[in-house]
This record gives sequence, C-alpha cells and structure tokens, in this order.
Amino acid sequence: MSTSSQNANSWAKKQPGKSLSERLIGTGLFILATISVLTTAAVIVVLFSESFQFFRQVPLTEFLFAPEWTPLFADPRYGIGALLAGTFLFTGIGLIVAIPLGLMTAVYLSEYAPFEQSVRVKGIMELLEGVPTVVFGYFALLFVTPILQSLIPGLNLFNPISAGLVLGFAILPYISNVASDAMMAVPRSLREAAYALGATKFEVVTRVVFPAAISGIVAAILLATSRAVGETMIAAIAAGQRPLLTLDPRETIATMTSYIVQAATGDQPAGSLASRALFSVGATLFVFTLTFNILAQRVVERYRERYE
Amino acid sequence: MQRGLSLESSKSPENLRRDRINRVFARAVIVPTVLALALIAVLILDTIYDTVSVQVVEVTETSGKSFPLGQAWNAEQVIRLELLAQGLPEEEVNRLMADPEEMRIFGLRNRVELMWATQDGPLRWVVSSIDDERVSNYSLLEGLRRWNELKAGLQENQQLRLNPWLDQSFLSRDPSRNPISAGLRVALFGTLWLLTMTLLLSVPIGVGTAIYLEEYAPKNALTRFIEVNLRNLAGVPSIVFGLLGLAVFVRGMNLGPTLAAAALTMALLIMPTITIAAREALRAVPDSVRLAAYALGATKWQTISKVVIPATIPGIATGVILAAARAIGEAAPLLLVGAAAYVAFVPRGPMSEYTVLPVQIYLWISANLSEFANTAAAGIIVLLLTLAGLYALAFWVRRRFRVEW
Repeated sequence: MSTSSQNANSWAKKQPGKSLSERLIGTGLFILATISVLTTAAVIVVLFSESFQFFRQVPLTEFLFAPEWTPLFADPRYGIGALLAGTFLFTGIGLIVAIPLGLMTAVYLSEYAPFEQSVRVKGIMELLEGVPTVVFGYFALLFVTPILQSLIPGLNLFNPISAGLVLGFAILPYISNVASDAMMAVPRSLREAAYALGATKFEVVTRVVFPAAISGIVAAILLATSRAVGETMIAAIAAGQRPLLTLDPRETIATMTSYIVQAATGDQPAGSLASRALFSVGATLFVFTLTFNILAQRVVERYRERYE
Repeated sequence: MQRGLSLESSKSPENLRRDRINRVFARAVIVPTVLALALIAVLILDTIYDTVSVQVVEVTETSGKSFPLGQAWNAEQVIRLELLAQGLPEEEVNRLMADPEEMRIFGLRNRVELMWATQDGPLRWVVSSIDDERVSNYSLLEGLRRWNELKAGLQENQQLRLNPWLDQSFLSRDPSRNPISAGLRVALFGTLWLLTMTLLLSVPIGVGTAIYLEEYAPKNALTRFIEVNLRNLAGVPSIVFGLLGLAVFVRGMNLGPTLAAAALTMALLIMPTITIAAREALRAVPDSVRLAAYALGATKWQTISKVVIPATIPGIATGVILAAARAIGEAAPLLLVGAAAYVAFVPRGPMSEYTVLPVQIYLWISANLSEFANTAAAGIIVLLLTLAGLYALAFWVRRRFRVEW
C-alpha cells in the first residue's frame, strides 16, 4: 500500500463518532478475507489427515519404493513411483517444448517487437491461455496422436509425447509472460554498455539481457513446471490413465493428476483404502506444486531486490 | 530493427559470422509466436472439421425416410411428412400433432435433422430414432471420397448421411448413450446454474477480501500472511480443489454430488482470481478521490461504498467475466464433485445432480464410439463460442467504462 493511502487511512481513523456499523463493516470484510486462509488450511488438513490414515495402513517404504500403483487390484500395490514417472515424462516433454518457445517469445516481446506487434503477440498468448484444457486434450488425442503414430513406431494411442507436446503450448504463455517482464526490467544502461563495446544484438540478448534476467527466467520456468505438474485434463485425455513405472515415452502412462481423475470417475466409498490412496496422491501433488511456487516466489523476490 | 554496431566496416570472417548469427536470430525469435498462432488455427479448423462426418446407419421401420428441403421447412412439417409416410391416415396425424404429450414422446424417441446429404440427394430432412444402429462412421474427406462406394454397398434398411452434428437441435437434445440423439441441453443448463451459483458465492468473498486488503488492512504480519496465502492459493492445481470439495462438501457436509457442492468448490477456486482483479481496480483509484470524500465529511464506509467502489466497477466486472470464463472451461475439479455421473435431466435447484459443458465433452471424448468424437467436437465449438463471447464482453466493458484519473 502506498504511503499516501496510509495517510488517507489515518485521516479516516481520526474521525469523531465512528459508528458501530462502520466498525462492523471492517470486521465483516476481515472475516471475508480470512476465507482464503481457511481454504488453504482446509486443503492441508483434508489432504494430510487422509494421507495420515493411509500411511497407518501402508508403510512409507511401500509408497516410495513399490514398483506398481494398483490400489484397485485384488493384490493392491501403492508405489507412487509409477505415477511420478508418468508425471515426469508428461511434464518433461511439455517443458522441452515450452522453455525454448516461451523464452524465444519473451526475447521477441522485450527486445525485438515494436509496440503494436507486441500487443498482438500478447493477444495470441492470452488466446492460448484461454483455451480450456479439455479442448487441448481433445486436440492432442485426436489430431496430434494419429500424426505421431505414423511417424513413431510403437507409439500407443495414449502416450505422453503428444500430450506433452500440446501441454508445452498450454504452458508457453506462463513462461513468456513472466520471462519477458524480467527481461524488460533489465536496465537499458546495461544494453547500451554492451552495444558500446561493439556487441551485436544477438550478443546483447544472450550475454547481457539473459544473464541479467536469469532469476526471472528461472522463476518463469518454475511457475510453468508447477502448472504442468498440476495440469489434469490434457494428461487424463491424451497421456493415459494406466500407471506404469517406465521412462519410455511411447507407453501409456498415468500422471498423478490423471490417476486422480480415473479414481474419481470410478466409485470409491469414503474411508476405503483406495479413497485414502487418492488423497495421498493429492497430497504429493500439492507438495510438488507448492514447492515450485514458493521457489519461484523466492527467486523473484531476490531479483526484485536487485533492480528496484 | 537492427540495432547495435554495424559490422559493415570490418568484414573479417569472424565479424561476418557474428553478423549472420545476429540476422538469423532476429528472424527466428518470431517463430514461436507463429507456431502458437498456427496451433490455435489448426486446433479450431480441425475441431470444425470433426463436427461433420459421413455415417452409415441401420434404420428402423419408423425412421430413415428422408425428405427434400423443399417439401418441409421446419421440424413440425417434417414430423407430419414422416407420420404420413408411415401410412397413418390424415386425421390420425392431425390428432397426434395436436397432442403435446404425443409430440413430447415422439421428441424423446426421435430426432429431426437436416442432413447435408443422404444417398437420395443433398439437403434432406431425416427423422432418426433412438433405436437406429450405427454401422460405420467416416471423417468428412474419407467419407466423401468413398461416397459412391458406400452408397452402392448400402443394404435395404441402411441409410447414408452427411451429418452436420452441430445443428440447431444439438443444443436442445438431452444426453443419450446413442450419439445420434445425444445433445447438450442438460450440460448447458448445468453450466448456467453452476456459473450463477459460483459467482453469487465468490464475487462477494473475492471483492470483500480485496476491499479489506486495499482499504482496511493494517500493515502487519497477518496482512502479509493473507497476501502470501492468496498468491499460493492461486497456484494450487484445480484438481486439488476437487479433492477438497469431495472431502468437505460432498462427504463432510453430506451435500452429495450436487450443484451446491460444485458451486462451493468452484467459488473457492476462482475466488483468488477475482480478488486479484478487484485489488488492481481498487489500487487504480487515486487517494485524492478518497481524501476529497473525507473532506466532505463522509465516513470511511461511505467513501468506499459511494465513491471508491463505483469507480472500480468496470475493472471488477472485467475480472469477474474473465474468472467466469475460467470457471466455464474448468472440468477437472468437477469430475471429483459429481459432474461425471450420467445425468439425464436439467437441474431443478441447488440440490440437483448436474453436468457441465467441459465435463460432457470429456465424457464424449472418453466414450468408445467414433461418433462421440463428432459430438465432442460440436460441444467444443459451442464451448469456444461461449468463451469468445465472454472475452469480447470483457474487452468491451474494459474499453467502454474505463475511468481515466
């Protein structure tokens, strides 16, 4: 809050005869503001209490090291590794697509595009962001997969390659938005100094702007990773819902999110071990995305200190 | 656009190489944008293409006749022709058509649609029955290429159709396990109900939170905590909100797989988005405006409610519309709070079962028949048009009502 707004507030406080209703409104608004805190608390309590119940029945070593994730089988196994491998493949392929494309877009926006052009490019990025992920999933499964199947022998109908490719475009805007902001925040004087030394524009971008904005770029990639790990519908539709401990991207896999969808669309009574397993996957997913988000914020805060 | 030192002066091999790299790079940076645009274009064109297919259908005794467009101009005339063609006498047909109950039953069992072509010729009305069986389904190009071959191979009780799935009755048909009679009506009503309930819950909470943080909150650790928390909440994957809704609303509060549970879940999900938009709008109001109100003797709440909030309405409205657009496209959390169930009826209240557009699309994509890919494509076009409408509305509101200070 700006200092002048603080002044406005203190001025209001000095008013004589501040009525009861005035104070009640303040309290009421405070209560509304606490709902977001309560939501976070509820998320944590729900995920971890159910997971706690889960780990009373399933040893942690089983969860970490078992080679399969099959809670609904007669002989259930609970190895999260199978879901982590699937998530890794899906997210990894997405990032391989999104990082170069997103950073190139960011460079274009901050260094090359004239104003009207950058407005247009941002519009295209907003369009990408606005497409519902169920639509991306449809596109991956029914357009990208058939094309890839004719190129890659042994590619399953559901596979992390086509899902990841499309995911890359879905998270591209997150990288380009945050990274271009970081690059634009690099002081002009640094660029001018490099030009004065005889650098070409390419050299200025890669050796001056890029390193100077690296923390923002890292934050952009972390945020995009968090989005990718939590992305559900593309994975559920196109990557598959069959947990498999593999790093072969041609196989049908399940991500943490697509497993949650699969389990949820079946019917599992509350309190059953399979239902608790669902929440333990949710808790793992939550920990991953929260870690990436917090890391990104840390990196951004550090970078702000440097340039403001 | 080429800034930087000109390398013309010293044409050493090294400098020529640097110059070449520089020029190639300047062209290459536009490539990702072009790719993104191409992807969006291909996605939309492919989906439109998928809304049309060539079908071979095995018809029943009471269906499968087709009538040229010139003979009938609306569904009612087609039904009359169909009933007459079934050999019913004129008076009987008149009686049936005057009886709303008979017509309702006819509507439940049949679907009247203008096909782009049948084996009898272009633009023909077809009355299908839910008992019609699909024989095969081809994509538009393949179907057209093999049209004559398919036509020659038709058996006595089979019909060849060039079927535009996205027709006027698609929006008004109920869901069905038979793709021929599956439509979007229940999902459309579900989306409308859910969106209304979600906004009624989340707009007061989101805007209230924003007003508190911008106008009331003291600068202390608690306020900072609320702010950090909001930012982190906005980064929680939507499917985790689904798990929250499942545990707290569906099971804990015993709401079951109802609209109420879904609306509570979605409200929590989009609340941070609304708060962030509302805070930006509040921040844009200069303090001179507040001080002027105080100088006139207004109390704090009078200042906020009569001066500040009216000035932020366009900004908040834009934010709410964008949040609504996000809510409309969201499928993942709703799959956990009951939207995945097969629902045959339009919701009648907050405690009704429901389904929504993106979930209906997901269920169609997951179904095995290739015709459901066509209905999914048709559903996607409806969804994208709805979103385009909302984005256009947000854009217009921002343009039209923007306040310049």
